[in-house]
Amino acid sequence: MTEEQGQSPLTRMNCKVGEGVLHCRFTGRWTIDTAKRETSRRSWRRALTNEKEIKKVSFEIGEDVEWDSVLVVFIRSCLRDCKESKLSVDMSRLPSGLCKLFLMTEEKIIEKVGLDGGEPSFLTAVGELVFAVAEAILSSVHFLGEWTLSLFRLFRFKARFRASDFLDSCRACGASALPIVTLVSFLTGLTMAFVGSVQLAKFNARIYVADLVSLAMVREMGGLMVAIVMAGRTGAAFAAELGNMKLNEEIDSLRTFGISPMDFLILPRTLALFVMIPMLTLYADVVGMLGGMVVGMFVMDFSLHHYVEQTQTALNSMWDIYSGLAKTIVFGGIIGMVGCSKGLNCGNDSAALGEAVTSAVVTSITLVVVADALFEVFYSIMGWR
Amino acid sequence: MNSEDNQISHAIVSAKGVSLAYGDYVVLRNVTFNAIRGQALVVMGGSGCGKSTLLKSLIGLLEPVSGSIRYGDQDFWASDNQTRDEISRRFGILYQGGALWSSMSLLENVSLPLEMNTELSPKEVREIAEYKLSLVGLSGFGDFRPAQLSGGMRKRVGLARAMSLDPEILFFDEPSAGLDPLSSRRLDDLILELKETLGITFIVVTHELPSIFAIADDSIFLDAETKTLLACGHPATLRDECPEEKVRRFLLRQSNFS
Repeated sequence: MTEEQGQSPLTRMNCKVGEGVLHCRFTGRWTIDTAKRETSRRSWRRALTNEKEIKKVSFEIGEDVEWDSVLVVFIRSCLRDCKESKLSVDMSRLPSGLCKLFLMTEEKIIEKVGLDGGEPSFLTAVGELVFAVAEAILSSVHFLGEWTLSLFRLFRFKARFRASDFLDSCRACGASALPIVTLVSFLTGLTMAFVGSVQLAKFNARIYVADLVSLAMVREMGGLMVAIVMAGRTGAAFAAELGNMKLNEEIDSLRTFGISPMDFLILPRTLALFVMIPMLTLYADVVGMLGGMVVGMFVMDFSLHHYVEQTQTALNSMWDIYSGLAKTIVFGGIIGMVGCSKGLNCGNDSAALGEAVTSAVVTSITLVVVADALFEVFYSIMGWR
Repeated sequence: MNSEDNQISHAIVSAKGVSLAYGDYVVLRNVTFNAIRGQALVVMGGSGCGKSTLLKSLIGLLEPVSGSIRYGDQDFWASDNQTRDEISRRFGILYQGGALWSSMSLLENVSLPLEMNTELSPKEVREIAEYKLSLVGLSGFGDFRPAQLSGGMRKRVGLARAMSLDPEILFFDEPSAGLDPLSSRRLDDLILELKETLGITFIVVTHELPSIFAIADDSIFLDAETKTLLACGHPATLRDECPEEKVRRFLLRQSNFS
């Protein structure tokens, strides 16, 4: 006859062996807010492995034991061990309430649902990556195609959306964006003037700061800055809004009413960006030049008249402005479509929504910069610069 | 000791003269009731009568305009934040849609309260979480995400999560909403079994008649028109003997025209 005892003062399990039966008695507090039960577990293991002649295990609990799920879970793991060692179990001395808790789960323990797990091999991972990229490209081409079809439907007066949606989007991505666009483009113009003034002073050509700022703003920086601001602001908002609608099955319900989400949701949003981004760019160009003018007048001491005249000479051809605006229409399309498609293809939980929004911003900024570079290459090949 | 005193001494939750409002809009006036330890109290009434609002205030999400809510001998809304948190740890809540954390697996959903509130070892937390999932018939689904489940399964996970800290009181907001009759029956059976074996007190907001008659030991009826508590007692007694016609009609499922 052996006896195992000890353990923490609060949770206690005594194991006694007599006539081939292992008697386990639980005393103390077995609740989730008491200390760990490692020692009890160890003494249970020891009792099981040391005693070869055990045929049966009997559980009982002391009179004033406080217990909750912790005890249930502990006995459950003991029962599992008993099953493995093919020992019979006597639970007749446990309170009926406790026994019932085992019965409530007993049959259900066995049922296991297989998930295909395991790490994929390197080759599999590469293959999956290639397929994922191919699929992403295919799906964006698909989206662009659907969008174009939807636009044709609009021209034939067959695509229907609410005018108020379009105007709301225009306000959200146009007028509401004015403050941030003002700040960003003013500071861009100001910074360029500072940087330029230092360099041009070396050649005693400081007045060309006006040329530098105005040409850089209209050809390049105005559109690019607006596009980056809009990608962070409007593109993210589109992705979040549509993604949330998808989570709430609102998109599905539109489809079941025979309303195309492409016509009803995406067309007004993207068209609003198409219209508003060139306008914002024009505004940003002017504000950026103002930023340069502030430096020219107050830091470099040119007169207002002198600076404006120099700017006018620099911008003698309207093509500089048109070429800048032409790019922004494409930027608008990129931002709107990337935002909408990311939202529409969002996964089914809130984490996926966050990923969709992040990915919308990152993808559209990247594509905008790539498109900008392509435009410049194209312009210079055609000799338009 | 008369029977009323006796009831109050066994009450685990007691609301006294509670009035609730959203801003200026009053939802409930002067509601008084007791929930007895180890029993199931059903809060019933038609749509818009303030059942869920009452529940919100019981679980600490909406402060009553007047009146008190007591847990044992502690006044919930008069206590400081720390005491309130301690009281809150004694109850579990099953929300209407489950309100599972969608970015976590089912096992993580059930084990997070244990990890945050107890000193249990990771292995024990896992075992307890698996046990709770098996209690609601979802063992083996631990690695699934909430989005992969049906509405009924989500509700059952919500129940497993509500029970994760072995609460004394379980609040259910419309447990059978959106469930088929069989699943809803199974949920009722589970409530009865838990009540019997663990002695948990249930406060259940529902308007499903079969559930009401199956689980309730006691019930209160809230009325949308008068914004008051219209009747309380065992639903069967109310159905047969309640002086308020509205309550009888509700429990007999009779419309005004019949």
